[in-house]
Amino acid sequence: MKSLRAIALILIILLCGLFIYVAEDIPVFGDPEAPPIKSVKLFTMEVDQVVSLLDQHIVPEKLSGELVKRGFPPPSHIEKIPGIDGEWNAFIEKEEPHYAKEEKYYWIRKEGDKLRISRYAFVVRWIEKGLKETAVPNMVTYGLADYRGYDTLGETTVIFTAGVSVILLLRRRSRL
Amino acid sequence: MKEERRERNVVVETVARVMIPFVQLFALYVIIHGAGGPGGGFQGGVVFASAFILHVIAFNLIGGRARFPESVNTVFSSLGLYVYGGIGLLATIFSLGAAQYLNYGFIPFTSHFEENRALGMDFVEMGIGITVMAITASIFFDLAKKDGNGKEEEEEGSRSWNGSSQKSWQNTTTGSSSSS
Repeated sequence: MKSLRAIALILIILLCGLFIYVAEDIPVFGDPEAPPIKSVKLFTMEVDQVVSLLDQHIVPEKLSGELVKRGFPPPSHIEKIPGIDGEWNAFIEKEEPHYAKEEKYYWIRKEGDKLRISRYAFVVRWIEKGLKETAVPNMVTYGLADYRGYDTLGETTVIFTAGVSVILLLRRRSRL
Repeated sequence: MKEERRERNVVVETVARVMIPFVQLFALYVIIHGAGGPGGGFQGGVVFASAFILHVIAFNLIGGRARFPESVNTVFSSLGLYVYGGIGLLATIFSLGAAQYLNYGFIPFTSHFEENRALGMDFVEMGIGITVMAITASIFFDLAKKDGNGKEEEEEGSRSWNGSSQKSWQNTTTGSSSSS
């Protein structure tokens, strides 16, 4: 009985230490500069004549080729949307899935002598790169257990706490 | 009244005896299948706990408690959380502190980074399933008990048709409760 209590105390201390470590290790919430929040860089390419074509609102062959080579859908036309970052925005003509506003565009920006092609991060990560990154075909599962692993650990802790509370309230055995 | 209960009990008992292994097998399938299709730890754990609930409804509370004692239940309810936390900590240990906590890719199950992530997810789902199963069963057993003074009885289980077996169950339950 005594040794059981000592083991339980050690395990509780270990669990508390683990949770303190986890709380220290969680990424900063709400950081606007955090890469997964704002946009994800797909690739960079040489400028060449691409810029002049982009200014004339023509989709360059080279840009479409680079995108298709990496498994992304090619854009249909070039425009500039005021609310979205980037000098040019390339519209993605894709029926499924029905993206909202920002996810429909590639964001093209000139950085020195390179063109930086980026995209709204969250949907690209989740829908189009999840299978490649985790080798799990179920979108819900890799979201639940991998991308949102901290969240699920908290959920399991909530269930554990509920069970412990019921034990403390109902299993008194004429003590207390 | 007593005759009716006996008649009902035979049918329910027989059906439960046939159903319970399949319910448990389906629960394990749901947990294991969580990576490839619908399913996962939460759902599978609840389905597994429903097998215990079916056993209690068909037979009685004390027999169900004897199958899944209080001490084992308490150990399982925290074991799943330790599996989850341990898998997360393994990632940090194997990458020598370079990777973040819960970054399963660095645990060397296989040689591929992506496969490691999938396997880490599977083990995490198993941990979730163990905790959810044990906690759901624990809450059910605690709520079904009538009084907490060690004398475990149920409104139907107390009027058992077999007095001697009930006595032996009480002995086992009091033994297990004093040890926990």
